[in-house]
Amino acid sequence: MEEFIRGFVGDVTRVMSALPVQEIARAINVIQAVYERDGRIYIFGNGGSLALATHWVSDFNKTVFSHNLESHTRRFQAIRLPSTEEELSAWANDVGYEMVFAGPLQNYLQETDGVIAISSSGNSQNIVKAVELAKRRNVPVIGLSGFDGGKLNELADVKIVVQTEKGKYEIVEGIHAVILHLITKYFQDYFDHQLARRTAGA
Amino acid sequence: MPKRLAGSYRRAEGPSTAPARFRQGPRTGDRRGAPVDWDKLSLMILVRAPLRISFVGGGTDLPEFYRKHPGRVISVTIDKYVYVLVNPTPLVDKFTIKYQRTEIVDHPKDLEHTRLRAALLDLGMVQSGLEVGSFADLPAKTGLGSSSSFSVALLRGLHAYRGRSLSNRDLAEEASRLEIELVQEPIGKQDQYAAAFGGFNVFQFNAHGPVDVSPVLLDYRKRSALEEHLLLFFTGITRPAASVLTEQRSRVEEHFETYVAMAESVGEFARRVLEGDIRGMAHMLHEGWLRKRSLASSVSSSVLDGLYEAGLSAGAWGGKILGAGGGGCLLLLAPPSAQAAVRRALEGRAAQERLAGFKEIGVRTVQSGTDLVYRDQQPPVY
Repeated sequence: MEEFIRGFVGDVTRVMSALPVQEIARAINVIQAVYERDGRIYIFGNGGSLALATHWVSDFNKTVFSHNLESHTRRFQAIRLPSTEEELSAWANDVGYEMVFAGPLQNYLQETDGVIAISSSGNSQNIVKAVELAKRRNVPVIGLSGFDGGKLNELADVKIVVQTEKGKYEIVEGIHAVILHLITKYFQDYFDHQLARRTAGA
Repeated sequence: MPKRLAGSYRRAEGPSTAPARFRQGPRTGDRRGAPVDWDKLSLMILVRAPLRISFVGGGTDLPEFYRKHPGRVISVTIDKYVYVLVNPTPLVDKFTIKYQRTEIVDHPKDLEHTRLRAALLDLGMVQSGLEVGSFADLPAKTGLGSSSSFSVALLRGLHAYRGRSLSNRDLAEEASRLEIELVQEPIGKQDQYAAAFGGFNVFQFNAHGPVDVSPVLLDYRKRSALEEHLLLFFTGITRPAASVLTEQRSRVEEHFETYVAMAESVGEFARRVLEGDIRGMAHMLHEGWLRKRSLASSVSSSVLDGLYEAGLSAGAWGGKILGAGGGGCLLLLAPPSAQAAVRRALEGRAAQERLAGFKEIGVRTVQSGTDLVYRDQQPPVY
């Protein structure tokens, strides 16, 4: 048992130590820019990746500011797509599963926004369709992918690929969660710092 | 910060898909007295472009230099903006252009505003019934790149009005083409790139091939520390940028080695930025400023030298006159403990020189480039 656990932890550690640090930094810059222009961030993925997206939205819209919620009047506007199960099933049933993200995204997307797409393989048709829509409108796309990055990594402006052998979903998805938490923590510290500066200046 | 007006408009569907009737801008109906079909109009668009602070390498973005040796510039955009508003005026069969003055003409060729005239003619936007206005947080000619920020904002606005979305790179290139080729301004490309991309960047200008854009990935702690050391003063002197640059351009060959040294220093400056070595940055700004002063007689003046010296004597670590030179803004890096003394010294000096417009400008750095911040209702099939 211990051997199995050590083996898994070892795999995770090796992949973690090869993360594209510069791309993660660029993702933070993209999000910073969206905040400055009061835009929205749309995030989506399939299965476990959709759960990651939902978790991140909750952290990003609230936890980032939670130390001083009342002091931060302008907060992030992060939205998971589709935002309701009804939309998901309507697009899938009426139009096709490949439109479950691009369909809702089309309703919302504006020039000031940003997009985070999560796909371990990077090749999910519905993810690729939504990313292509954002690209056509010159909206910046952060791609969180795994394995060899797939099509998502080719298309994304910010290419965060968690490189593993094909099929290592458990490692890719786990590390995606870590990266998303890293981004949340960065902005939490950033807004705490801003508040401290404002208070010191007052 | 401009506020999104929720739910007030339909969204654009992709670039350059607008039907031909939108591409020429609004039409007022073919017959005199025909009713205006508002559904066929592109509606109001507001674009915002940031100004920038250029640290080192300015001048190496001139083609006289970068065609022979890669030019490099490091700059950051700041929270002072130029705004361009584009609006149809279907009941006024004119071009109405509002900036420091107002021009109302029948055809863009009659405009005196050189860049607007060139942009409208180049895009074939000659159908009257169009209004363009520009607004800014700061006056022109401050050395903060505002004229190129205007061009980038204008092009983003005019293209959006015609149903097109441009990438930052295409936007920077189009703005450079407008200013350098069409209007024949004696300037480089750094400001168009700075405004279009936004943030802290190193730009490399190559003889062949595209401009390399490398973001300087600075975390908030180092960015804040830099902002806390950064003082910016408008000298009250507006500079004749074109004349400074015309002289400078004609003498690039003569000073070629100085330009090489300026371009080469950009990498070292970027390293100091990343290390948070603000004193080291100040030292390099000072050296860069001395180099720049040697490039054309009009870059500095006794008044500017006097202000800069007053700042250094009061405890600033280093700095420079921003932009082409000859006037505009003075940038200083100074430890927080010395800033009160620096302010007093500069205000005293400015009063002595009777610089009525002298003023400090508080700045923060920003990450976002030129944004379409508001768009009124879209044509439905757009």
